[in-house]
Amino acid sequence: MASRAARSRLVLCLALLLSTLMPASVHAENACPWLNDATASGLLGGTAVGVYTSAAQGQPAVCVFMQQTVAGARMLRLTVETVVEPHMQLMKAARVCGTHAVPLPAIGNEAVVCTEWSGKKGNGEIALGRVRDQLFRIALTSSLRRDSELSGKNLRMHLSSAAEQVAGNLF
Amino acid sequence: MRKTPGIAAVLLAFCAWSVPAQQKKESKPMPPPAYTPPPKGAQPAVDTPAQTAAIEQMLMKARAHTEAERKAFNATVAPAYDYPFGPKNPFTPGNIQVEGQGFLQPGAFPTAEYCGVCHQEAYHQWRQALHSNAFRAPFYRTSVNLLIHDKTRGIAYARHCDSCHNPIAVVSGALTKDSKVDRARFDSDGLTCMTCHSVVSLDSTNGNASVKMGVPAVMVDEKGNRIPGMVSFADILRHPERHSAAVMHDFLHKPEFCAACHKANLPATLNDYKFIRAFTAYDEWQQSKFSQRNPLTFYTADFTTCQDCHMKRSAITLPEYGAKNGMFASHRWLAGNTAVPFYYGYDEQLKKTIEFLRSGNYLNVDIFALHKQGEDRLIAPLGRATYSLAPKDVIEAYVVIQNKNIGHSLIPEVRDLYEAWVEFTVKDASGKEIYHSGYLQPNGRLDPRAHSFTNRPVDSEGEFVDNHKVWTIHSVAYDNTVQAGRSALVRYQFRLPAHVAGPVSVTAKVNYRHFRQSYLDNVFGKGDHPDYPVVELASCTRTLKIGENTPEPPDPQDNPDWMRWNNLGIALLDQFQYAEAVAAFTEVIKLRYNYVDAYTNVGLTEIVWEKYDSARTAIHRALALDPNNARALYYDGLLQRRSGDTKQEIEDFRRVVALYPESRDARRELGIAYYQENDEHQALEQFEALQRIDPDDLSAHYNLSILYRRMGMTDKAAEQQAMFIDKKVDPGAPTYSLNYLRDHPEIANESIPWHMHSDLLSEQGGANHGK
Repeated sequence: MASRAARSRLVLCLALLLSTLMPASVHAENACPWLNDATASGLLGGTAVGVYTSAAQGQPAVCVFMQQTVAGARMLRLTVETVVEPHMQLMKAARVCGTHAVPLPAIGNEAVVCTEWSGKKGNGEIALGRVRDQLFRIALTSSLRRDSELSGKNLRMHLSSAAEQVAGNLF
Repeated sequence: MRKTPGIAAVLLAFCAWSVPAQQKKESKPMPPPAYTPPPKGAQPAVDTPAQTAAIEQMLMKARAHTEAERKAFNATVAPAYDYPFGPKNPFTPGNIQVEGQGFLQPGAFPTAEYCGVCHQEAYHQWRQALHSNAFRAPFYRTSVNLLIHDKTRGIAYARHCDSCHNPIAVVSGALTKDSKVDRARFDSDGLTCMTCHSVVSLDSTNGNASVKMGVPAVMVDEKGNRIPGMVSFADILRHPERHSAAVMHDFLHKPEFCAACHKANLPATLNDYKFIRAFTAYDEWQQSKFSQRNPLTFYTADFTTCQDCHMKRSAITLPEYGAKNGMFASHRWLAGNTAVPFYYGYDEQLKKTIEFLRSGNYLNVDIFALHKQGEDRLIAPLGRATYSLAPKDVIEAYVVIQNKNIGHSLIPEVRDLYEAWVEFTVKDASGKEIYHSGYLQPNGRLDPRAHSFTNRPVDSEGEFVDNHKVWTIHSVAYDNTVQAGRSALVRYQFRLPAHVAGPVSVTAKVNYRHFRQSYLDNVFGKGDHPDYPVVELASCTRTLKIGENTPEPPDPQDNPDWMRWNNLGIALLDQFQYAEAVAAFTEVIKLRYNYVDAYTNVGLTEIVWEKYDSARTAIHRALALDPNNARALYYDGLLQRRSGDTKQEIEDFRRVVALYPESRDARRELGIAYYQENDEHQALEQFEALQRIDPDDLSAHYNLSILYRRMGMTDKAAEQQAMFIDKKVDPGAPTYSLNYLRDHPEIANESIPWHMHSDLLSEQGGANHGK
């Protein structure tokens, strides 16, 4: 559990760093097809900045939205890819949840949600789902201590909402 | 160049309206505040000067706050908004309008959760109903996403669909390429409470959301000024009458309100082609017996509105301050959608929807007659007639399906996606199938030769528009329905087996599925979804003995014999079988010699058959029985026109209009009569009245364009002329349909009004097809 939390924090830090340093030519305008900045901001509970990287060379398309505050950062990371045998692929991806995967009813063809990490130094949950053969993964994380906006029921609620937005746009 | 500062600035500005996304599943409401409804007839509470001043202060503050928010919101949204039809038409191709200047911020709409505190029953029902799921449901998203991703159109054109499916998205300016609006705040609530309850006026009955949305308010002050936004529950409960004044306009009880969205067309601004009617449940209702506005219906009924059927009052089970005597108007809007509650797991809504579909005696299925090949006699009505059957007999069964108590057609909307059909089976005594039509294939798709109440819209290539890309529709190759109050005759042919001995059972059912399997495959992927519910709406079974069959007592569901003949006559009339229709209506006269409509039915059939002399005899008999019968007078007017007696013709139609001022047919014919008499002003009055009843009536557009021009009103004439040209069916459209029918013989056969379903057609001597 500790190593997973540490890994997630590392990813968050790297993403923040990349977003700050990466030249505009690489990700000039956020054109995330499944979530706009305003919606992501609402889900993150504050102004978020988005970066979109389209799918290329077998890599999924990625949208990263970040809300940076003095106390820490909140991040929504979305990946979308087209796969063969989508149900099998989703089940495979859901192994990351271990036995803690909770079905997310009426989202896409099927979806699950689980806690990625939780502790004093923040929270993270992920949703995995699919619409037809399009697999999506949403990670909603916060490095803020005692983040009332993104913890517990609120975090799950925001993640479900994000999943519904993404799935709706993938149909 | 870095993008971050620009985006950050925009988002910083926007975050003023950002609040956490609402819970999308039904939330457990907080307990309602204590409230004791005032006794019946009690006067509203009288405010002290201090209370009045406090409310006025609240009004000023709320107005200032909402207006400032709106201004700031528009400053963010408007610059990036796409106006393909100019700044004056921000919501085109939808018809929705908003009060005041610019877009309306989503935060101006009090949430459903807020309403749900005092209206828990309404909230609970609404959350499961189609209205709240009108946008988010995958069945809708799949279709509208195709429009959003269309290369020549895009998200701006989705305003046509979302004006009804997601009005907050439209009026907030969210439907633009570079949207600055937080969609999670409202997408999941579709038509939330404060969309319907914020409408301040109905602009017309043109449909496509032809309403004006006011700045949402849940209370007015003592002068009737709307107080924008949320107010405290204490204020509302002190003045429930002011709450009602803000949110309960009289038009909410009228069919014209439903018409705003339950009437739709595909305008040229959407399809870059021309006006095409999509559906119009409202007009169907207006032409039905339930509106009491149309004198030409075959049957009569008590006045019944859309709300009377779809918002029936029932006992509450949750706290509900809008209830009267423990009863509340349903906010489930039970109708035909089983797919949405099935997908979301709303079992209660699904159960009630199925119960609704099976209730109300909406349809009557009657296995009315048999016809044995080689004999002239029609064995009818079944259950009354004596006849014999023998092995190897080739039998033709007449199934009459009556749209008995639906206030609109079967199926009223989106007939390309919803599926109702007839399943007809013949089984021997052991249960072995002799004949089966209308079965589901192993892949879940309907027997392609089934008699279905569906349509086949086609594009300019003659290809079926399989996935509801309505903007590509150019023609409808096939459109089969049963209009309100009318009947359909469906014929099946089968051969009794050589060794059949025991009785044979014949069953006809009308099944219904929401949606067509191929559309479900489009939405979820082929084979990647469960079977969606098939609901049996109505059925009829008759047992046929081998040997002698004698009369038997009727089933409780059976119509009386005269009505059975009448329904056959109506169905035959609609299939252009005029001689047979007259014969059927004549049987009605034999059973009910003083039934005025029976004579009128004979008369009207003979009018369309162009047998005017005998039509006159029938209509005169009808008028002899009831000289003030509007229906008979209408047809007498047509006959007077034929015989050149314009004075009597006008007199007849005037009497009909006096009895039925909203009869579009009588208005039209009276207008034509005046026009032919060169009484232009009287003609104008009638056509203008007709246009108020039906804004799409072609004869009104045509005649008004001529009359306005003659009267020197050239602008209005040009406007009417343009509407006539836009709404008139493209004479080239049948070509697209024929291209489709040529490639689909099974549908080509179905598109012929008088057709037979048979497996014997390929057998030599078996078919006797079409006789």
